[in-house]
Amino acid sequence: MVQEQALERELLAVGGELAAALPAPSRNPLKLADEKALELASQDAELKAALFRFVDVVPACRSLDDLARHLTGFLGEVEEPPPPISAALRMGANRAGRTALGAAAARGVKHMAHRFIVGESPREALGVFRELWKGGVASSVDLLGEATVTQAEAQRYAERCDDALATLVGAMAGWPARERLETDTFGPLPRANLSVKVSALTPLLRADAPERGQRDAATRLRGLLRRAHELGAHLHIDMESLDSRDAVLELILELLAEPEFRDGPSAGVVVQAYLRDSPQTVDTIVEWIAAAGAARAHPLTVRLVKGAYWDHEIVEAAQHGWQAPVFEVKADSDLNFEALTRALVDHRRDGCGLRPAIASHNLRSVAHAIAYNRLAGGSDADVELQILRGLGDPLQEAIASLGLRVRAYCPVGDLVAGMAYLVRRLLENTSNDSFLQEQARGVPVEALLARPVSSSAA
Amino acid sequence: MKAFANEPTLELRRAPVRAQLADALAAHDARPPVKAPVWIGDERREGDELVSTDPGTPDRVVAEAAAATPGEVEAALALAAGAGARAWGATAAPRRAEILLAAAAWLRERRLEIAALEVREAAKPWPEADADVCEAIDFLEYYARGALDLMGGPPTAPLLQVPGERNELRWSPRGVVAVISPWNFPVAIPLGMVAAGLATGNAVLLKPAEQTPGCAALLVQALREAGVPPEALALLPGEGHVGAALVKDPRVHTIAFTGSNQVGLEIVRAAAETPGGQRHLKRVVAEMGGKNAVIVDADADLDEVVPGLVSSAFDFAGQKCSAAARVLCHEAIHDALVERLAGAVEGLEVGQAERLSTDVPPVIEREAQERVARYAAEARASGRIAAQAASVPDTGWFAPPTLVAELPEDSPVLTEEIFGPLLAVERVRDVAAACDRLDASPFALTAGLYARNPDTVEYVVERVPAGNLYVNRAITGAMVARQPFGGNRLSGTGTKAGGPGYLLQFVEPRVVTENTMRHGLVV
Repeated sequence: MVQEQALERELLAVGGELAAALPAPSRNPLKLADEKALELASQDAELKAALFRFVDVVPACRSLDDLARHLTGFLGEVEEPPPPISAALRMGANRAGRTALGAAAARGVKHMAHRFIVGESPREALGVFRELWKGGVASSVDLLGEATVTQAEAQRYAERCDDALATLVGAMAGWPARERLETDTFGPLPRANLSVKVSALTPLLRADAPERGQRDAATRLRGLLRRAHELGAHLHIDMESLDSRDAVLELILELLAEPEFRDGPSAGVVVQAYLRDSPQTVDTIVEWIAAAGAARAHPLTVRLVKGAYWDHEIVEAAQHGWQAPVFEVKADSDLNFEALTRALVDHRRDGCGLRPAIASHNLRSVAHAIAYNRLAGGSDADVELQILRGLGDPLQEAIASLGLRVRAYCPVGDLVAGMAYLVRRLLENTSNDSFLQEQARGVPVEALLARPVSSSAA
Repeated sequence: MKAFANEPTLELRRAPVRAQLADALAAHDARPPVKAPVWIGDERREGDELVSTDPGTPDRVVAEAAAATPGEVEAALALAAGAGARAWGATAAPRRAEILLAAAAWLRERRLEIAALEVREAAKPWPEADADVCEAIDFLEYYARGALDLMGGPPTAPLLQVPGERNELRWSPRGVVAVISPWNFPVAIPLGMVAAGLATGNAVLLKPAEQTPGCAALLVQALREAGVPPEALALLPGEGHVGAALVKDPRVHTIAFTGSNQVGLEIVRAAAETPGGQRHLKRVVAEMGGKNAVIVDADADLDEVVPGLVSSAFDFAGQKCSAAARVLCHEAIHDALVERLAGAVEGLEVGQAERLSTDVPPVIEREAQERVARYAAEARASGRIAAQAASVPDTGWFAPPTLVAELPEDSPVLTEEIFGPLLAVERVRDVAAACDRLDASPFALTAGLYARNPDTVEYVVERVPAGNLYVNRAITGAMVARQPFGGNRLSGTGTKAGGPGYLLQFVEPRVVTENTMRHGLVV
């Protein structure tokens, strides 16, 4: 039993070490411009809406003029535009101005996109993955795509995943050994790691009737599992909104229990801590590991995330008159994240065949996972930390420099495909209570590491 | 009284919630067919002159209805115009509201049972059937509150008052309301119209669609058990002549109708007559057909457009007055949209309404099946079938969901209401050209727009005459109090069901001005 006070002490120590290891803030002027834009957006809800709608529509614009017309259209709805915005609006008044404005805006968005999206294809992004690896950071690749509404699109996504597995495994075989990134107490960890979305593997996944979509996706998902097994890669099944949560989890656990996949591949699932019923999801997974999953050669990786569809879940529930499935107060999500971290670490320690992967760019959440695992008697190698590309790059460097295993979740794809993703990430990055905003505002480390206060305690 | 809120639909994304549905349907199937009586005052005459069957399994009888005879129609009218209108009109507004709320509670308690009946009688898929019951509850809750605001408060409130006079605006029931309702929202639409009439103190005669008398019987039962006095509400199942008799009768004050354009226009014509003995002008509240179009601009996000269009055009086999029939797509993305839409349509599952995996249930009857097939053949001859769902069951009135393109501008497929799972895509030069085409239509019920430039949205909002315009979302699923529903032009009388002005169609205004000055003294 880990004492709470001891945990907080260890957490502060680990968090302090991490904070001290954070690299100095970037002097790159383009990066500073990004930060400036995000800072502006985070202070003004209307401006934030305008910029997001613009970022979202960029790939659908047909010319620089069209781009500028959209930008001024959105900005025109901001009631009290700050000076840089008024200047942009004035530029939009004539054709030459619009061309210049469109070009500048396109450059800005493209730059922003590159911060979160590492390349147009896995092949193109190999250099980035290699650099990360050399710096002590593993990767998981996520192929961005348009929504899947037809069978042809599902097929194309499955083929892209198949190609990605081959490309990654082929390239990564020649990389230098990095003991810490490819082994834990259970044994070897695959270098190539691909995250896939079940909703992209079928056009038929319906919230009210999951079975047909599950059956349709199963065929393609089996193909990918087979391929990952052949190549020795790790296949991770991402989670999206609650609409598909149960269907996705049920499907992957069912397939992994099939005799064909007893010996592999290494695979993983996701638990979203912002969901009120996420503790039950952990129970479901742990029960599966003890029963159907017990015969498998590979432990199941369980990636714990906070969850990226918060606004969607809140709005959908409100429009239907349902209770929100997510915690409405961020501190409650954060506390649940910690509780689930401890649950996963405990199960791991008690012999359950699961590999906890704690995915957060929140300094306290990361420090908490490391500290708790140590106090619970685990080895550092047994908890993987995961960071989203573009959201926690400095923290990722700090974790790597302390000799801990960290993996960057790296979206790959073109701009059109990446926009929905990009908007979600920007939303996360500019939400007022986000850790990143607090950090950027210069909130002291002790405050960043303070225990979240539950909304029911207040 | 709590502020109005929409009744939450079932959270069918949760498996335990879904699990209840099969039980509800099994319980429904275990019961004998529903009896829809001619129900006048305390007299209930059962019969089987009309029979409703499951459109997906036509040999399954769902309800047996008596058909009102001319004598029964006369008796119902006499009772409603006499004791019915008198007693109910004299009932205090708060008491009437209380009774409507009790009917809402009655439905709430039996929501799965009622939805199961809709699944069988109208082949309405579960989510839609559940939404229909919720909408019925919403109408009761909303109109109860609305009538209370109108008739239960101080009558002086909205008028300007100056010293020495007292001005009062009072709303009185008009008398007798005849409701003629359709089968496609077999509980919500009739109940909405009936509830509006009752909430405002009128006696109501309901002539439901002959396809869904079972649903109608249930909603009358709900209101009667909640406390609506027998003389204030009659159920008159029957064919068209029952409705026609009500429409032309001098004792009827207001006609609330939802249905086809042809019948609606006949009602408007007939109601304009003032036969001997009629001392009032009839009022007609009519919701009629449409030919609803969705405009898709070049900057639209096809990831959103495709599911939105598929849902708008094919949910409940396109049998909603609000359903999408046309897509007016910017030429820059026309081909891409048709390709993705075609792929989505090919994947639609056509099947029984009771199965949650069904995307497209059968249409209501053989005549509807034949009509959809005729228009599909016309589209094949003069344009191109871009996609059609692969297979449909052989028994039942199934019509394959169909996507058509490249039709000539004057094709009847583009101008006439089909009321089935057929969607036509048209290529337009730009949004202005799309608005021109839309403006050429005599219909103006719903319309949609997918566009992201706020200036474009504002332009289309200015130009489109539709009663309900939906921007960047599906065009069906109007919610009470959120999207008051009803069409303009030949689509309807411009009245908005579930909206703030709707009840005014059911009442007569009277202004009373009293001089309060007497011998130089204000008394």
